[in-house]
Amino acid sequence: MTQLIIFLGVVVGLVVLLLVAMRRQPARAAGSAGELVTAKKTLESLRSGLLPPELVEQVFGQRDLTYVEKMGSKDIRDLFLSERKQLALTWIRMVRRQVRALKEFHVSRSRMFIQMSWWKEFSLAVDFASLEIRCAILQILMQWRGAYAAPDFARRTAAAAGRVCSTLDQSLAFLTPSIPVSLGTESDADGSMV
Amino acid sequence: MIAASEDLRRRTLAQTSSALDRLIYLASMRDYNTGLYVHQGLAARFSAEVACEALADCHQECFRELIFLGLKDLTEQLNVYMQSTGTEADDFLRTWRELEPYRVAVPVGTDSLVAQFLFSNLKVALAILEHQNSRVPEPIPVA
Repeated sequence: MTQLIIFLGVVVGLVVLLLVAMRRQPARAAGSAGELVTAKKTLESLRSGLLPPELVEQVFGQRDLTYVEKMGSKDIRDLFLSERKQLALTWIRMVRRQVRALKEFHVSRSRMFIQMSWWKEFSLAVDFASLEIRCAILQILMQWRGAYAAPDFARRTAAAAGRVCSTLDQSLAFLTPSIPVSLGTESDADGSMV
Repeated sequence: MIAASEDLRRRTLAQTSSALDRLIYLASMRDYNTGLYVHQGLAARFSAEVACEALADCHQECFRELIFLGLKDLTEQLNVYMQSTGTEADDFLRTWRELEPYRVAVPVGTDSLVAQFLFSNLKVALAILEHQNSRVPEPIPVA
């Protein structure tokens, strides 16, 4: 009887170990290539669709606001500010979502392919965290005060996101030749297209 | 395809007054059902596929040009376009405000934020033109 109990205990122990080992394996090894391409597309879309300095300047620059204020119409000014606020909020939400997607990808996948130095890994983690905080602050500021609440902060956030993209691009460099994506020709990562 | 694009720019698009004008023209060359561009003259000189690619290329080009225009320049282009149609300003502005025809004028695959930026600027430009139009004094009738 004692031997049976020990035997069953060993069997249960082995089954538990097997289950633990199975859970530690990548959930979908076969899907990795697709995920890499998706990550590359997200990266390119972020860099060329949301972060080009020209686009950031168009959204957050003062040129159009100055022109509208010269019109001397409160209705037009209100319409313009409301439109820009919506646009700025959409921009920050998209940047935030895509940065988050890249972070998740990096944490779950890319480290399997590229050996990063400890220091680089740490630096990237700090960049991701600071970017998340920046985006959250910017979103609150824009929600509260509109698109022109903190234009310099928005520019710096875009630049910081660009730097993170450059670092990640090195991790995915083995996927070259890169998937060509240019401004106005590719949807964002969630597939929203016109 | 480069030769076809150049041909299109030289023969046809050179006659248009602005990027907005070109955008509307090129969007009108696109089949709503297939998304393919059709230009008989260009297709006869090159091929239907090459003509389609050239039109799509020029469409992207003028869309990009419009995106980086300031609101002032966009408003001026919209005003010139409005006058070129020969439609009464009130009718044009009302129709554009209600139907938003520019929404179907963007190239396929355009990033949603970039398209939203143009739509937003055009909406404000329409409001500015309406404001300017309402300030134009009525002509004094001659007795």
